[in-house]
Amino acid sequence: MMGKLLTMIACTAITIWFAAAAQAQLVDPPMFAEAVKAGKLPPVDKRVPSEPSVVRFDGKQATVGRHGGMMTQLMERSSDIKRMSAYGYARLVGYTPSYTLEADLLKAYEIKEGREFTFVLRKGHRWSDGEPFTTEDFRYFWEDMVLNKEMSPEGPPKDMLVEGQPPKVEIIDKQTIRYTWDKPNPFFLPALAGATPLMIYRPSHYLKRFHKRHAKADKLEAEISKRKRRDWVDLHFNRDRTARLDNPDIPVLDPWVNTTPSPSERFIFERNAYFHRVDQAGLQLPYVDRIAVTIAASKLIPAKVGAGEAELQSRALQFNNYTVLKRAEVRQDYKVRLWRNARGSQIALYPNLNVTDDGWRALMRDVRFRRALSLAIDRREINMVIYYGLARESANTVLSESPLFQPELKTAWSTFDLAQANKLLDDMGLTQRDSRGVRLMPDGRPIEIIVETAGEGAEHTDVLELVRDTWIKAGVALFIKPQTREVMRRRVKAGLAVMSVFFGFDNGIATADTPPNELAPTLEDQLQWPQWGMWHTSSGRSGAKPDLPEVRRLDELFAKWLVSTSGGERKAIWDEMLKINAEQVFSIGMVNAVPQPVVISNRVHNVPETALYSWEPGGHFGIFRPDTFWLSDSKQGS
Amino acid sequence: MLHYVLKRLFTMAMTLVVISVLVFVIIKLPPGDYLSTYIEELKAQGESVDQGRIEFLRKRYGLDQPAWQQYLNWATGLLRGDLGWSFEYDQPVAQVVGETLFMTVILKLATVLFIYAVAFPIGVYSATHQYSWSDHGLTFLGFLGIAVPNFLLALAVLYAANVWFGTSIGGLMDPAYIDKPWSWGKFLSVLEHLWAPVFVIGITGTAGMIRRLRANLLDELQKQYVTTARAKGLTERKLLLRYPMRMALNPFIADVGSLLPQLVSGAVIVSVVMSLPTSGPMLLSALQSQDMYLAGSFLMFLATLTVVGMFLSDLALALLDPRIRLE
Repeated sequence: MMGKLLTMIACTAITIWFAAAAQAQLVDPPMFAEAVKAGKLPPVDKRVPSEPSVVRFDGKQATVGRHGGMMTQLMERSSDIKRMSAYGYARLVGYTPSYTLEADLLKAYEIKEGREFTFVLRKGHRWSDGEPFTTEDFRYFWEDMVLNKEMSPEGPPKDMLVEGQPPKVEIIDKQTIRYTWDKPNPFFLPALAGATPLMIYRPSHYLKRFHKRHAKADKLEAEISKRKRRDWVDLHFNRDRTARLDNPDIPVLDPWVNTTPSPSERFIFERNAYFHRVDQAGLQLPYVDRIAVTIAASKLIPAKVGAGEAELQSRALQFNNYTVLKRAEVRQDYKVRLWRNARGSQIALYPNLNVTDDGWRALMRDVRFRRALSLAIDRREINMVIYYGLARESANTVLSESPLFQPELKTAWSTFDLAQANKLLDDMGLTQRDSRGVRLMPDGRPIEIIVETAGEGAEHTDVLELVRDTWIKAGVALFIKPQTREVMRRRVKAGLAVMSVFFGFDNGIATADTPPNELAPTLEDQLQWPQWGMWHTSSGRSGAKPDLPEVRRLDELFAKWLVSTSGGERKAIWDEMLKINAEQVFSIGMVNAVPQPVVISNRVHNVPETALYSWEPGGHFGIFRPDTFWLSDSKQGS
Repeated sequence: MLHYVLKRLFTMAMTLVVISVLVFVIIKLPPGDYLSTYIEELKAQGESVDQGRIEFLRKRYGLDQPAWQQYLNWATGLLRGDLGWSFEYDQPVAQVVGETLFMTVILKLATVLFIYAVAFPIGVYSATHQYSWSDHGLTFLGFLGIAVPNFLLALAVLYAANVWFGTSIGGLMDPAYIDKPWSWGKFLSVLEHLWAPVFVIGITGTAGMIRRLRANLLDELQKQYVTTARAKGLTERKLLLRYPMRMALNPFIADVGSLLPQLVSGAVIVSVVMSLPTSGPMLLSALQSQDMYLAGSFLMFLATLTVVGMFLSDLALALLDPRIRLE
């Protein structure tokens, strides 16, 4: 008995000692050894917050790594370095690899009734220049930037408005801040966790010198004329391009800090000495000392990757580069992994329900017509011919990885069935045909659908060629009209385009807590109902009120989702909205989960072998925390 | 002479005014402006855009003003030497362009030297050995040079350089040297990368130059003064270099006019294909994103160089060839 108790005490003591040891023995990256020794930089335990974010590895897919090394990436334009913010993925709250939210920069957060958000910061958290990160930085953003009429005449960002009302902001102490709205704000946390996040804090100690309220007038004038800006707002705006990362002077909270002014052909990002994450062994993250971003023409990037010039690359690589990349795998000592694209559909046709031509509008609004067009597409053939059978044939809906997935929605009106398609069209009374076999509209014009593309390269056009071959068998002719994105959108909005082709739902891995705004008319650039979307955004001032009962139901459901707070209710709403969209075929999806080549050098560890490839949410590599990727010295096969 | 120069200068100024209007109108022709391109770029990445923010930006950039006013602001700025503001980089145009200009001039100077060094001897040889096998062979190569699209050649050369010599693909130096101060290593790296674009860009020019030199020289060689000189016992070499050669050079001097603007732009497609840090790709991306002052000022700069270059080559021709009269 006594012995057992003693053992227990001993065990507890050891556990406590271990926990304490893990806290005490933080490991400083060798890159800073000299600076710390010379006293230019405080030691690591003075730099990380007193309660750092501790990353634990499962030991299988990811392991404890080592400090050091430089990792190279290629990007297309110098403005693309803003993606490093997503690749660093330091957010107040961030998504985990299973797409749930957790505190990251924050120590903790609390939500009451979906409308009161209390954020607690980490004590001793510092910006990359060593200054403390406190609620003053949040206050500065809210009071001195958002509420400043000169600087933001348009008012707060839209994710901070609920029915046009801004939140009440209370600063409780140096580490605690609260945002309260009258009604629930389901957009707030997802916006904070976004790949391009809503940033509700700023490095106030740095920016105050550019702000009229805080800076001395003569100093501000000198600064304005030195940098050739028009006025102080312009100056502040230029210095505070936080999201674009092109000002090497501005302090950040990201794992890596840009050191190269823009424009340049090569940007070097160096580790942030004050980063708030450490691993379970006490090593301060990130593991990798530097990231070099080389700018190259997008067409050259696959060739450069094949020549071994990037250690981790997905940007500008497309599925049709797969074979080229694979060929150099052994010579360049990397692996080409195929991740899966998380869009609802890689390519979707959007019948324009708001087209101005009366004859076409009647056709587009007839659900039988939309269903017939969808049935007359041979998705199997598209998958085989264009994607070597590696994609999934599906309507435009969520992927099977999403908790909202329903198998019957994937196949709803999306199996190849020419007989039924022809029957539906016959039932509509479109039985007259011209000499080519193309059906005639009631007013005698042939049904020749001009599909307007956004000129996104050959992929969409290639697929449309295949669609044309099967549509003609249903008596519908298809013509392709390539445009630029802006022109296409403008023509769709104006109701001039009958049908357009674009990607499917952006977020194919939605959960019940994801706002379902892609399923209802909520934005004027939704290609299937631009006028109804405009009616929604302008609160009824412009655009047109939805007049299809199903679309009105979607509108109602979306409004209901906004004020619902329980998970079950949200899921029920999502289910019904997905079902209406699938049954009504408002967009015609073809294939999804298209493979995305990701090239990973054999020196780079801790990168998942397979994963979903998504920008929003996830920021491509972001949610897998590139700060935990590490480099081994020698190249080795694995 | 003075009268002629003054008249030319006046015409030049008028030409530039007309060009500036044309440039501005053409840049403005596509619907939308920089901000609409910018919005699309953001949307392409799934970012949301605040309409209020966009209106605010439009005002800041002066894009809400009527077109004629935007033109006047820009044109009067140009007269004062202010090239305007680049939206995309949020920096003065002069600063953005300045960075790339140096590399562009190096590249083009090397190309011009390459063209002259290769085209001269071959052109003279072809002309003096007309219809020989070697002439046919060189002519064939020359036609190949004209006929092969140089962006295709660029890709092939890049691939070969990478596979055979291990040169990094694209760019004018190894990525490790970008933005580093000049050193011997960087210089060697530039040389290692420079030959490929010089060869690719130069090959068409070389082939054209060979053909012209050959044709001009052949014309001259038929003339009577050549026969006379030969009859007087001048050596072939001295004869060739002293008389027909000088006449055959006229087109080279006339070329100077188009050479100047080419030094700073030129070979846009090849530069894009080979991802060179020169001004060509920058101009292209400015046009695509409707960064109108960057594109406009750059085009005006080129136009000015062309006009000045033409003027200089006309003067040089007049000085060198007494048969040309200015009045």
